[in-house]
Amino acid sequence: MAYSFYPGCSMEATGKAYGVSFEAINKALGLEAKDIPDWNCCGATVVANVIGDFPQQAITARNLALAEKNGAGDILVGCSSCFMNLAWVNERFKTEPEFAQKCNEALSAAGLQYNGTLRVRHLLDVLVNDIGLDEIKARTIKPLEGLKVACYSGCQTVRGVRRPDFDDVERPKVLGQIVEAMGATAVPFTHAARCCGGSQQFTNVNMIYDLTGDVLEAAHQAGADVIVTPCPMCHMNCDAYQKKINQVKGRNYDMPVFFITQLMGVAFDLKVKELGFEHNIVSPQKILKRFGL
Amino acid sequence: MCAFKYNPAASREVYNLESGKYAQQCMQCGLCAVTCPARHLMDYTPRQLFKMLFAGEVDKVLKANTPWLCTSCCLCTVRCPRGIPIIDVMHSLKHYHFEKGTKAPVATLSKVFFDSMMKRGRVFELGMTNAYYMKSGFGAIKDAMKMQDVGMAMMKAKRLPLAPPKKVKGLGDVKKIYDKAVALAKEGH
Amino acid sequence: MAKKIGVYVCTGCGIGDALDIDKVTKVAEKEYKCPVVRTHAHLCGKEGVELIKKDLEGEEGVNAVIVAGCSGRVNTDVFNFGPSVMVERVNLREHVVWCHPANDEDTDMIAEDNMRMGIVKVQKSELPEPYIEEGIVKTILVVGGGLVGLTAALEAAAAGYKVVLIEKEASLGGWVAKQYKQVALRPPYDELRENDIQDIIKQVEDNPNITVYTSAKSEGISGGPGIFEVTINQNGNTVKEKVGAIVLATGAKPYDATKLAHLGFGRFQDVVTKDQFEEMASSGKITRPSDGKEVQSVTFIQCAGSRDPEHLPYCSAECCVGSLRQALYVKEQNPDATAVIIYKDLRAAGQYEFLYKKAQSEGVVFIKGEVVGVNEAGGQVSVEAEDVVRGETVQVDSDLVVLATGMVPTTAFGEEELTVEVKEGEEAEAAAAAADTIIRSDILNLQYRQGPELPSLKYGFPDSHFICFPYESRRTGIYPAGTVRAPMDVRAAIDDAAGAALKAIQCVELTAKGAAVHPRALDFSFPEFNLSRCTQCKRCTEECPFGAINEDEKTYPLPHPTRCRRCGTCMGACPERIISFKNYSVGMIGSMLKNIEVPEEFEEKPRILVFACENDAIPALDIAGINRLEYNPWIRIIPVRCLGSLNLIWIADAMSNGFDGVMLLGCKHGDDYQCHFVKGSELAEIRLSKISETLDRLRLESERVQMRQVSIMDYDQIPKILDEFAEKLEELGPNPMKDF
Repeated sequence: MAYSFYPGCSMEATGKAYGVSFEAINKALGLEAKDIPDWNCCGATVVANVIGDFPQQAITARNLALAEKNGAGDILVGCSSCFMNLAWVNERFKTEPEFAQKCNEALSAAGLQYNGTLRVRHLLDVLVNDIGLDEIKARTIKPLEGLKVACYSGCQTVRGVRRPDFDDVERPKVLGQIVEAMGATAVPFTHAARCCGGSQQFTNVNMIYDLTGDVLEAAHQAGADVIVTPCPMCHMNCDAYQKKINQVKGRNYDMPVFFITQLMGVAFDLKVKELGFEHNIVSPQKILKRFGL
Repeated sequence: MCAFKYNPAASREVYNLESGKYAQQCMQCGLCAVTCPARHLMDYTPRQLFKMLFAGEVDKVLKANTPWLCTSCCLCTVRCPRGIPIIDVMHSLKHYHFEKGTKAPVATLSKVFFDSMMKRGRVFELGMTNAYYMKSGFGAIKDAMKMQDVGMAMMKAKRLPLAPPKKVKGLGDVKKIYDKAVALAKEGH
Repeated sequence: MAKKIGVYVCTGCGIGDALDIDKVTKVAEKEYKCPVVRTHAHLCGKEGVELIKKDLEGEEGVNAVIVAGCSGRVNTDVFNFGPSVMVERVNLREHVVWCHPANDEDTDMIAEDNMRMGIVKVQKSELPEPYIEEGIVKTILVVGGGLVGLTAALEAAAAGYKVVLIEKEASLGGWVAKQYKQVALRPPYDELRENDIQDIIKQVEDNPNITVYTSAKSEGISGGPGIFEVTINQNGNTVKEKVGAIVLATGAKPYDATKLAHLGFGRFQDVVTKDQFEEMASSGKITRPSDGKEVQSVTFIQCAGSRDPEHLPYCSAECCVGSLRQALYVKEQNPDATAVIIYKDLRAAGQYEFLYKKAQSEGVVFIKGEVVGVNEAGGQVSVEAEDVVRGETVQVDSDLVVLATGMVPTTAFGEEELTVEVKEGEEAEAAAAAADTIIRSDILNLQYRQGPELPSLKYGFPDSHFICFPYESRRTGIYPAGTVRAPMDVRAAIDDAAGAALKAIQCVELTAKGAAVHPRALDFSFPEFNLSRCTQCKRCTEECPFGAINEDEKTYPLPHPTRCRRCGTCMGACPERIISFKNYSVGMIGSMLKNIEVPEEFEEKPRILVFACENDAIPALDIAGINRLEYNPWIRIIPVRCLGSLNLIWIADAMSNGFDGVMLLGCKHGDDYQCHFVKGSELAEIRLSKISETLDRLRLESERVQMRQVSIMDYDQIPKILDEFAEKLEELGPNPMKDF
């Protein structure tokens, strides 16, 4: 297995824990995911607001063209927002010839072109369909017995390409399967694919309080010990804003929020230092202690 | 007669936007309205926005906060029985609004994000945040003070590096692609 | 030929375990001396059928078979031994062992009584001989040369039948011929297609099997299925044609827009009907009538006169799709023009959804709401509407307003009359129930005693049961199709044309065999009249729901057997009991009920006789059995063709034979009737109201005779209905006539 990896900007900053723990998993599972050389930002969900969809999609397409040219394999994406952009542009390349032609015309300004030969895969997709649940189970050295997990797939993870792809767009299952393969319990979680409020932290923070507040409440109601997510934005809102939500909404959550790769690292008994827990804001210690870390 | 007067022709410029035409497919079922997680903060639900377009109330549509509260979570888009790509319509409305000089906070944020992206080819999250507050003026800075604890926690957790990311080698290419795409987009509409 | 009855008792399906079979066979052997009585564990199996066949072919010489086992509604083909062998089914399963306790004296008694009734029924029946008219023709007459008529003609001709088509206009094509474009009948559904009616007309004109009369109408139709004689008046010349069945396809007319002044029609020049608009589109330019300028904006008002209690209460079915089509004309002429559709509900189901989406993508605006006013404003027509979605009154100004007027069937125009003159006196109520409304629409001009056109039930549409038997009318052999039958769109009308053509074909084929049409298809019996005892009371001629009985010159009933549906309503109506079928008669049912053993009063075993309609009540009783629903064992069931065939003498017989009560189970009647013979259950109820006086006079409580309406879906109600009646009878005490 080999993949062209698209890390995205956040894996180096707000989602640092993801970047670090992904690398640990990458090695442990032998994913051979190598960064797309000289990748550029996809524009997240905001750039289209000021330049329009097509220019943003053309900029995103540069990454597809680079990956295709580099020939390292299908594109693997961890960040859900990046996944949404890359996968959607890729989908349009494959299903809308007019778009493909127009986009290639834009790419040709930089001497590039994309032939639509790659698939864009989310990390969860690769974990469950390429690695497989059996392998994850086999790799599990420290079964996460008794750990109750709220599996927060996030909205753009499952709806990035808008139509059912590797998971259900309304009631995602894949993350729960992975978590259960490691011996933990995926609690029934109503908000698995609900929006956390996204990037509205600066522009409309009430929305984060409301939406992330709902997610935290749902996890709390479900009796979860920890929230696990594959999305940097979900992670930041649930983790970094949890204290604020407690203040504003008069709540008392103490809910650690892990990236899925961090939890896998624990189950696979990887070096805890390589899992980026120092970047977690809500203390992960009470969870880590349960597994002797 | 003092009844509200329909003027469907007035909305033509909106339908001519990049994804504007899809708005016409709305059959007013309201599934988007009950689906949207941010509906309680919106002036109008997407359904109402489309209905206003049918009636020709373009100004009202452009003043609405609805598109700016859309987080592209895509739930309405996968549920819409008419298959309207509502998030794309929202992008188009925002873009249109932006070109008309809106002062919506998300527009400012989107612009600083874009600037940051085009400066190095990748986004410098801390730098972008600062630029946002600088651009948004006193009120925003006051808001920022309230959020200082979150920012500090992020800094402590080393999630907002002070140094920007490395510049993409092909930044010139990114710009060329962008320029060409903008030209093509203008042609196309 | 003397009847030699073979009785075959099946012990399968739990019958043998639940019943004392000896008692049942003894009835046949000892009481009725049937020459052959056998039991078998699995009669419907190959071995069982062989057993019967052997007796039929062998020296036993059995020629009438009684199968005692499952319901007569199942295994009909298994127990069919050809037209010369009478087969009677005695129900021991659904009506006995499946709804009554096993190994119980009372259950055995039901089985014995059912056996008695079955044997008596065979004894009193004859094999029907088909009534075959001389000179049967299989030509199909199609009245109306619009899309439906043309399609029906082509369908019938393609099936190998000759067709005579008459059209009152000088050219064929009807309403569709006036359309600019048509909706797509196959993909792509979102595009309008060129009007192809001229191709269809050409196919009809070129078809050697189809004779077309244009500028023609029917001046008179006599006879009946297989032997209709039609007098066609074409431009003053009279032609006679013989036909076997008729498809009525005269379509609908637009609702009179002059009644729609509230929507601006007649008040403003620039308010037109959809048909006027269609004409404009066909002529090449859509313009304002007031100044001839090309329109820049058009508003369509849906349900103009439809779904409106003041006008047409019903939905006209076509107008929503029609306006989508017409709005696209506006966009075709000028993509920048505005088209607005104001609707109550946009009814564009099925593939029409694509057309709706197409109209939306072309920028047609839809407003859900009701129009509250139409005025003139600044040279435009201003429509004011309650916009449901906006929750306020809105105003739409446009160059032209199009009213999507509804459709009125062509059969609705003309003077109304009743088929029966309602007299004063005792018979008034029955006469009123039997009376049908006939509208003299001058379309068919039937020479029937019951009036010249098809009876109508509501809104001028020819009466037929739209769910159970579409296309069928109250006149056998005449099948309305298309918008004359019910409001519908082009797509449905084309299906209708084929459906009615097939019905007409079935009719001529069955008639040629001497068999009944639906719902008693392949029944070869027909009513026979013993006219020497007829008192010319005319009840049979009045009560026949199908107008099958005319009067001869001497005012005796003149039956037209090919028009007859074999329901037996005439038999039930006749006070002199002179009407009977070979295998269904007043005497036969009377004998059956008299052969039921009614225990003495001291035995405390009441008996309740149930006359159950074969169409819905018997299936409901069967399903009750299938679901093992239990009810009291005092019930004895006699199936009847229709409650309309109920002759009051049966009730008198039942009471004098000591039955404690009689219940009639029949179909729902009224405007939304379910009676397969339209009026049967209603007439039965009216007849019943008469008998109550008689019962009172006999000092018998009139509650002892009751009627209940049940549909096939009411099977779960069966135990409740029957047990409540039994309780009521227990309150009343035993029939005082028991001991006489």
